[in-house]
Amino acid sequence: MQIADCILPERIVCGASTGSKKRGLELLSGLLSEGEEQLSSVVVFESLLARERLGGTGVGHGVAIPHGRMKNIDHAVGAFLQLEKGVDFDAIDNRPVDLLFALIVPEQSTGEHLKLLAQLAQMFSDEKLRDALRQAQSCSEIHQLLTQWNPPPSQGNTASQG
Amino acid sequence: MKIIILGAGQVGSSVAANLSSEASDITIVDSDAERLQTLQDSLDVRTVLGQASHPETLRQAGAEDADMILAVTSSDETNMVACQVAYTLFHTPTKIARVRAGAYLASPELFTQEAIPVDVLISPEQAVTRYVQRLIENPGALQVLDFAGGKVQLVAVKAFYGGPLVGHELRELRTHMPSVETRVAAIFRRGNPIHPEGNTVIEVDDEVFFIAAKRDIRAVMSELRRLDNPIKRIILAGGGNIGSSLAKVLEDDYQVKLIDHNPAHARTIAEGLDKTIVLSGDAADEALLLEENIENTDVFCAVTNDDEVNILSALLAKRLGARKVMALINRAAYVDLVEAGDIDIAISPHQAMIGSLLAHVRRGDVVVVHSLRRGAAEAIEAVAHGDPGSSKVVGRAIEDIKLPRGTTIGAIVRGDNVMIAHHDTVVEAEDHVILFLVDKKRIQEVEQLFQVGITFM
Repeated sequence: MQIADCILPERIVCGASTGSKKRGLELLSGLLSEGEEQLSSVVVFESLLARERLGGTGVGHGVAIPHGRMKNIDHAVGAFLQLEKGVDFDAIDNRPVDLLFALIVPEQSTGEHLKLLAQLAQMFSDEKLRDALRQAQSCSEIHQLLTQWNPPPSQGNTASQG
Repeated sequence: MKIIILGAGQVGSSVAANLSSEASDITIVDSDAERLQTLQDSLDVRTVLGQASHPETLRQAGAEDADMILAVTSSDETNMVACQVAYTLFHTPTKIARVRAGAYLASPELFTQEAIPVDVLISPEQAVTRYVQRLIENPGALQVLDFAGGKVQLVAVKAFYGGPLVGHELRELRTHMPSVETRVAAIFRRGNPIHPEGNTVIEVDDEVFFIAAKRDIRAVMSELRRLDNPIKRIILAGGGNIGSSLAKVLEDDYQVKLIDHNPAHARTIAEGLDKTIVLSGDAADEALLLEENIENTDVFCAVTNDDEVNILSALLAKRLGARKVMALINRAAYVDLVEAGDIDIAISPHQAMIGSLLAHVRRGDVVVVHSLRRGAAEAIEAVAHGDPGSSKVVGRAIEDIKLPRGTTIGAIVRGDNVMIAHHDTVVEAEDHVILFLVDKKRIQEVEQLFQVGITFM
């Protein structure tokens, strides 16, 4: 499974103005449950919060990857928020977060989903991509960036240099 | 973390003071402008004037962005409605309310998502009752704190002449008591923490914090001081919520007398108690105390709602020969004043309660926090999650875990098993780990240890 398979342009918001981590997660929960009749945004919100309590998903460099397991779904669903202004997210580097990729996976999540999460983490460690996502002016532009991203050729030392 | 505190009374303001030092973003709501002004002068907090449970007030206070709401106004009803409003209109993730009336607390099914959505109920009265009860069960202890539902306890005790371990190295504990497992988590000598090692020699007057299974507490205490005679006779002053609930939990095992100044109220509480002798009178009346055999009383515990009455009656009881006296003291300044004097134990309701709030402020899965030494030190119970890849503690031996300075792991509770920590004990997922921090400032590093990494699903 690829990142491109789980993110739709409808689930991307560009230039959102939210004032807090809580609002950001609420907004993402709304996006994730939209069009998925079996999901309520409240339940998704609670699932993201529960995971957040065990350990923050602010991975640094202004990026957060909130995620959770959900009953009633059989495939991974992603949503993305680009914020106008970063919010405090208890991130590991204490920097405000302005790029959020949320992911929900089935309750019985598999190694495949874990790989997806690892892929996301790797993708957002690419500084060029982060910059491009911040510059993007529209959902379709963001969608393109997210779905067409390829790992830089020289693996291993990409994370910090980029 | 964004926190809204409703009610700027004693609980609200002391919580605000405690949390504002933790880099939290705090807004306090009260309907009394003067109270808010006083708070704003001393603390870095935002204030909002208004009726705490009204949607508009909550919105103004930032409920849309808040991670937690803490409803501690003097009205149970306001607190409960505020949680309902916060849940319905703002989806506030964590809602904590103080509810005092036993009439509500008797029906826990009231406090569910479908009914009154309060995630955590706090009751300073219950916290104090439990605190005093533990002290009475363990005569000689300065503090007794529960972890893992009471399976493990942390005990503070002052070392005295006559304790077999006093003047000896810590490692001798094992030879003195081969069958008892314990771990000394911290030692405070003349107010300063020293790191306990095997060759540390215990001195008289050291304040020793040790962790052990509940059944072993007495044995360990007997190493550090000659054990006090068990407590038999107790006099409680003040028949309010705390006094009467204390009488209730103590009356089966001890001879309890309770003094209340209001005759009508004394009659009412007497009806709810089976064995306690309820007296009406002034707890600071020498003649009354003498008549009630104060000189043969093991514990005199003053828990009226008036600090001065508690202090004075406890001092008097001590002078008249009560073996040990305790006083409930709300004002922090009085606590400092009194602990140097004749009162054996000053009970601070905020200190007893703050931990139950801190447990929800801490990052990571922290289930219990006890604030110690007036907030300078902390003991916590954290749950380890994940696997060696996503956790910094799971799959590691204690000696390989990078603990911040002044932090010790005292015990691990795995299911029903209490394991006192050894250097080679390996932490497993879902273990409850009990840690002691002599310096609360290192809490962030501990939080980071117990938070799962990004790859935890």
